[in-house]
Amino acid sequence: MKVAAGAFLAGAGSRLLPASIPFRFFGAAVTYHLLAWLALLAGADALPRFAGGLGWALAALHLITLGVLGTAAIGASLQLLPVATRRPLGSRLWPALIWWVYSPGVAAVALGMGTASPWLLAGGAVAVSAALAAYVLLLARNLLGARGMPSVVAHGWAAVVSLLVLIATGLSLACAYAGAPGLQRGTALALHVVFAVYGFMGMLALGLSYILVPMFALSGAPSERAALTSCALAALALVLAGAAALDIAPRALRVAAIATGAAAVALHLNLMVSALRTGLRRELGRSFRLVRIAWGMLALSFALGLAVALDAPYDGVAMLFGMTAVAGWLLTFLLGILQRIVPFLASMHAPRGKGLPPTPSALTDDRSLAIHYFCHLGALALLALSVIADNPWAGRAAAGVGAAGAASFCVFFAIAIRRMGRGAVAGRARTAAAS
Amino acid sequence: MNAATDPRAPEREGLSPAKRWREADGVHIDVRGLSPPAPLVAILELVASIRDATPVIVHHERDPQMLYPELAELGWTAERIDAPAGEIRLKLERLA
Repeated sequence: MKVAAGAFLAGAGSRLLPASIPFRFFGAAVTYHLLAWLALLAGADALPRFAGGLGWALAALHLITLGVLGTAAIGASLQLLPVATRRPLGSRLWPALIWWVYSPGVAAVALGMGTASPWLLAGGAVAVSAALAAYVLLLARNLLGARGMPSVVAHGWAAVVSLLVLIATGLSLACAYAGAPGLQRGTALALHVVFAVYGFMGMLALGLSYILVPMFALSGAPSERAALTSCALAALALVLAGAAALDIAPRALRVAAIATGAAAVALHLNLMVSALRTGLRRELGRSFRLVRIAWGMLALSFALGLAVALDAPYDGVAMLFGMTAVAGWLLTFLLGILQRIVPFLASMHAPRGKGLPPTPSALTDDRSLAIHYFCHLGALALLALSVIADNPWAGRAAAGVGAAGAASFCVFFAIAIRRMGRGAVAGRARTAAAS
Repeated sequence: MNAATDPRAPEREGLSPAKRWREADGVHIDVRGLSPPAPLVAILELVASIRDATPVIVHHERDPQMLYPELAELGWTAERIDAPAGEIRLKLERLA
């Protein structure tokens, strides 16, 4: 059987999902990315000293967390975890159903927050929670049968538990706006922030990095023992932060959580830097410059978190902490990784015909990524300036520049999908040229 | 052919823990039992070290889906060839 690379990917036992599943999640994520910056433009007045409450600033935050980070995390984990666990997902219907419930739910949550409509917000929150609950079941079922990469699996379990906390607290906070009883707001909010940023998203990002970074750098697998130690420390940090949120020695436990979390991250980053240093591929381009910046922001978020825990006498510190953790670390990391995953997956899924598959680099529109790179970093700098100078105009400029970068990222994504569809043609043309 | 039963002694080259040996049909590499991404790295390390048209025969326990885009990027193709039950065997060749 003579086949070009990748032509026999979709067998019954294959761990590769149909293209429509990961790409519908990634497509929604890049769209919500643009909408998030536009929502921030509408809510920039509240940006420098944002402290919660309905409005477009809160909508922008949730378009990033639920819309970009959550959507992309679901798509990426459904595709990548089966590689680590050596176990197919077992369902193609459920991921599609999750997308159909989750994506409109995120839109309803954002609209409900932006327009201060508690019932729309509550309805969206119920839809998002239902979709996330189904996702938890899919994830847990896959992790239960795992046969490989224990460190990735352990991070997956920590993400599952964190997501359960996130669903419960998110529902409680959203439904409180509609008058429904729930957890005490301060407790729910503290749990929600920690388990969203460092729990669900953080643990997935750290865990999937043990597959993605060595894969892109072409290095050996990081030490399982060190990765498991990092995971255990991170999980302990979450437990300590959770106890602090429940008002058990809050200041001492917050400081302990930050110290433990910082140790976990130091161990993780040491493994990642080692993978990059020893990999066959040394030049990873703009995407990994973003990843390195994100890692720096992750470390910085612990310093700012400590300042918040110790009640630093500066009223913008909580906002700086949130921005550094969400936009600086998670969003920057995701966008860096996504610009490598999308062409890579598109190359695997491109129709072959009798030709050769298009290469990932042939599916990448570098110009749109270059525009996005400078806009994204410019937007982050302007966001920080907006908070430090307490200036909404800098926030508006950040939103405008960020939206331009997000639009450029949408162009990159659309071009990759279009070129993927033309894969067979490109392959035939290359075969003809080679013969 | 399972490297463990191969009368010719398997070699370990480069940084990779995979077994390699040479036969008439090309250079063989057995990546069974390795955790991701070690098989990918081992195969690409071998492919990158080959300067002529020598094919590479890969002995794998699963369809190495992540390998194909990387191979395409390097200008190599993969052909699935006959293998005993439970093994996936690929013949990798540089594009003419």
